[in-house]
Amino acid sequence: MTSEHVRDELSAYVDGELPPDRAMEIADHLTSCAECASDYAAMLATVRTVRAEITHHRAPDVLRARIRTSLREEAREEPRDTVRRVAVGPRRRWRIPWNAVAAAMLLVVASSGITMVATSRRTSDVPVADAVLTSHIRSLMPEHLTDVRSNDQHNVKPWFNGRLDFSPTVPRLEEQGFPLLGGRLDYVHGRPVAVVVYGRRQHVINVFSWPAADGGSTTKAPQSRNGYHLEHWRQGGVEFWAVSDLNAGELHAFAELLRRADAPSAAPSQYAP
Amino acid sequence: MPESTLESFERTILPLLDDAYSLARHLVRDEHDAQDIVQEAYLRAWRHYAAFRGDDARPWLLTIVRNCSYTWHRSSRRRDTVEYVDQEHGAGLGLQRPTDADAIESSDRSELQQALDQLAPEFRETLVLRELQDLSYKEIARVTGAPIGTVMSRLARARRHLQQALGIGAGERR
Repeated sequence: MTSEHVRDELSAYVDGELPPDRAMEIADHLTSCAECASDYAAMLATVRTVRAEITHHRAPDVLRARIRTSLREEAREEPRDTVRRVAVGPRRRWRIPWNAVAAAMLLVVASSGITMVATSRRTSDVPVADAVLTSHIRSLMPEHLTDVRSNDQHNVKPWFNGRLDFSPTVPRLEEQGFPLLGGRLDYVHGRPVAVVVYGRRQHVINVFSWPAADGGSTTKAPQSRNGYHLEHWRQGGVEFWAVSDLNAGELHAFAELLRRADAPSAAPSQYAP
Repeated sequence: MPESTLESFERTILPLLDDAYSLARHLVRDEHDAQDIVQEAYLRAWRHYAAFRGDDARPWLLTIVRNCSYTWHRSSRRRDTVEYVDQEHGAGLGLQRPTDADAIESSDRSELQQALDQLAPEFRETLVLRELQDLSYKEIARVTGAPIGTVMSRLARARRHLQQALGIGAGERR
């Protein structure tokens, strides 16, 4: 056996991937050939260094969430009899697609978000819902969810000062199972809006809010599209949208909690002068 | 029973996400590209999950990630690479010539990362599958579609290159 052949096989020798008889021959050779022994030591050092220093990348949580969401959507698209019935033209456009809701509940969803948005411009419900949903989905992309990351309302609320011409409501709902994750500035129909982000298990809820064009309080019927659910209401002169892939039932309960927390008696002054 | 299938997928395949992401990051380097690739790979894995026999989930998933990376690479606007031919052995190690952008970027990367970045994809993937994912030669052959002998020689040569780049010689570093 020549030293050249041995050197070619040292890498596989280090990995224990040579046939036993060949490995024995090399072990033998290394005891008698100083040059090859030195090569072997260098190979070992290289492998150790690479293994110690090579970067193990950890997948971002947002990616995990995105994958779970898309898996659930894929799984839902598989034909099922119970699903087909609902797909036939709902007469009322706010009708909840129960297939989506059922799938969401059954499939143990991994990730969702709720976001609230508010704008002063009067636009029809549908485009705003689209804009809000687009913003919600964009927020799930890497590094997009929150500008200010905090589970403390006293950090999140002041953060909006000077960034917006109004101050969004940021109630604590942690005890009810909706921890505050943070807030961010976003744009809906060209207007800067406040987005307060809550969590529910691994789901994200974006709550968009902005000053309404007129006062009064109304609560719109929940909507669902593409596996996401939207709650829309106006209260105390502010438009609210909550968006999440959380199941419709829990999102509705969340919206109720927000409305109660934001009722005039509970929150007398929501707005900056 | 789609629920139970999805549950089983989430139990066996989803925990491998870090491995999948790590491989993609080493193959395409850009973190956003890597995320898109891994998401696409998971969707493909889910669609083919019925055909998965449940033997070795990791090589199976990494094969999909690897193929998605190359599809991505081909379809995206990556810069051209230049192959250097190794005269002695007649086969290229395919070292990539760094561009200016790479040179500027490289000041932030570790010595090892820079050396890895110089390796052509087929050498880098073999090395990463071995050193990072700890796959056997047989598994690497399965993931990359190369014969075991090719895996062996690619690995040996990739290590030689790293050894030189890291200045390791005669049993000691530098």
